Amino acid sequence: MGEVEEQQQQHQIDLGNLFAFNPHHNFPSVPPSREELVKECLEQGTKLVQAVADALFSLPSVEDRDGPLVKLPAPTIRLPREKPLPKPRPPTKWEVFAKKKGIQNHKKDKLVFDEQTGTWKRRHGYDRVNDDKDIPIIEAKMTDEPGVDPFAKRRSEKKQRVEKQERHRFQNLKEAAKVGALPSHVQLAATAIPITGTQAAPRKVSKEELQNVAGMAASATASGGKFDKKLPGEKPQKHEKKYRKFLPVVEGSGMGSLERQQTDKVLSKLMSKNSHEILNVEKAVNMYNVKREKKRRNQPGKSSSTSSKLKPKNPHNKTSKKGSSFKGKSKKGSSFKGKSK
Amino acid sequence: MRPLDEKETTQVFEKLFKFTGNNLKNIVESPSHEGPDSNPGRYCFRLNKNRVYYVSESLVKRATNIKRDNLVSLGTLIGKFTKNGSFHLTIQCLNLLAANAKHKVWLKPTSEMSVLYGNNVLKGGLGRITENINMGDGVVVFSMSDVPLAFGVAARSTQDCRKMEPNAIVVIIQADIGAYLRMEDEL
Repeated sequence: MGEVEEQQQQHQIDLGNLFAFNPHHNFPSVPPSREELVKECLEQGTKLVQAVADALFSLPSVEDRDGPLVKLPAPTIRLPREKPLPKPRPPTKWEVFAKKKGIQNHKKDKLVFDEQTGTWKRRHGYDRVNDDKDIPIIEAKMTDEPGVDPFAKRRSEKKQRVEKQERHRFQNLKEAAKVGALPSHVQLAATAIPITGTQAAPRKVSKEELQNVAGMAASATASGGKFDKKLPGEKPQKHEKKYRKFLPVVEGSGMGSLERQQTDKVLSKLMSKNSHEILNVEKAVNMYNVKREKKRRNQPGKSSSTSSKLKPKNPHNKTSKKGSSFKGKSKKGSSFKGKSK
Repeated sequence: MRPLDEKETTQVFEKLFKFTGNNLKNIVESPSHEGPDSNPGRYCFRLNKNRVYYVSESLVKRATNIKRDNLVSLGTLIGKFTKNGSFHLTIQCLNLLAANAKHKVWLKPTSEMSVLYGNNVLKGGLGRITENINMGDGVVVFSMSDVPLAFGVAARSTQDCRKMEPNAIVVIIQADIGAYLRMEDEL
């Protein structure tokens, strides 16, 4: 018993938390290897657990069918709180107003005497006092408009009041959310309630997504959708990714005929698309112009001959009107000859 | 490593066609005298890790021994497909383009350095230019001694070049051989 007491003095034991701590322990020297450190720790741990067990068995116990039962004392060590304290909720609009006006809340009885039916009824909720359902007759007043259903009017007014209160509730929650003091049960549903400003509007599902989903659903049968009846307007499935195939890297002897065919096909397509570029019109026109220019330069007499040709032409024409064209031609030739000489 | 599919082939050929025109046929159909085979094979295009290589058939055959992950490179790198799916030529294909180029530009020796630092070709640095370049055509840039230096896209047509002021851009450079030094790690 003395040993136990000594141990208890050595260890701080908190039975409420089933917790033991040895403040006097020191490593004489840091253990060289990790394994030894682990061994040492285990040893110390066992001692502490033993201390807790000893203390437990020294408590007054009650015999039970399963064994001795012990009532743990209150914990002595106060563990720190995991989460920070919740922030206080900002006062609602009504609370602010009531404080300003000095309005105080009074407790009201849950049950109220209903004069209409002569019974005690609940103040709120189902089967309550002054329930609209219990009013069989509403007396007409002079101010009543004809053609308006007073019952429906009462119902709609009540509905509006409820909606107004709901709006006020959301307003107050919004204020609380700004400070970060939303009650936890509301926090979880905050995205569903229109109080967070950044709430994304529910997205419209795009046509493509719908098609994708429809395609997935259609092919999610045992046969991969092969034998299912197609709906009117439903397109056949696309197999884009699944059936993407590549040519073999090496096909028999190096580049196979398939790949050769493919490259030739692409090449010829490309060539034929750009075939109009073979004839460069601009270049052709340029070359033609240059050639003509060169010709002109090579025959400097020709330009003068043409001008001289024009002069005698008119008299020739006059003469040729009477005579045959052949005659004129021959004359022209003779004139050339004369020039060249 | 795999062959290009039809869409990819079209993309690659269209890009090459910009630079080579009908000489593309030479690139595709040139015989390769590599490997033990007596009859010459051809060159083909192979894709590995989004990069397109221009490889002789015999090399492809031998490269099939190597795991795709371990295959760093083979043949001549031509370009790469970006994550967006478009095809970019890289500087390694310069020799191939230069041999088959349709549109060429020669640089004055004074402006060679500027281009090798990645700048565009200006009118002032222009030595010679082939005829009939239109705006947007692929152009290979040479030094006056016919050493290929870079390739890019013509910013102006040949006709417009005559009337421009000296510091206007003629060719927008896409890649130059200075990149071998500048971007040694990335290439």
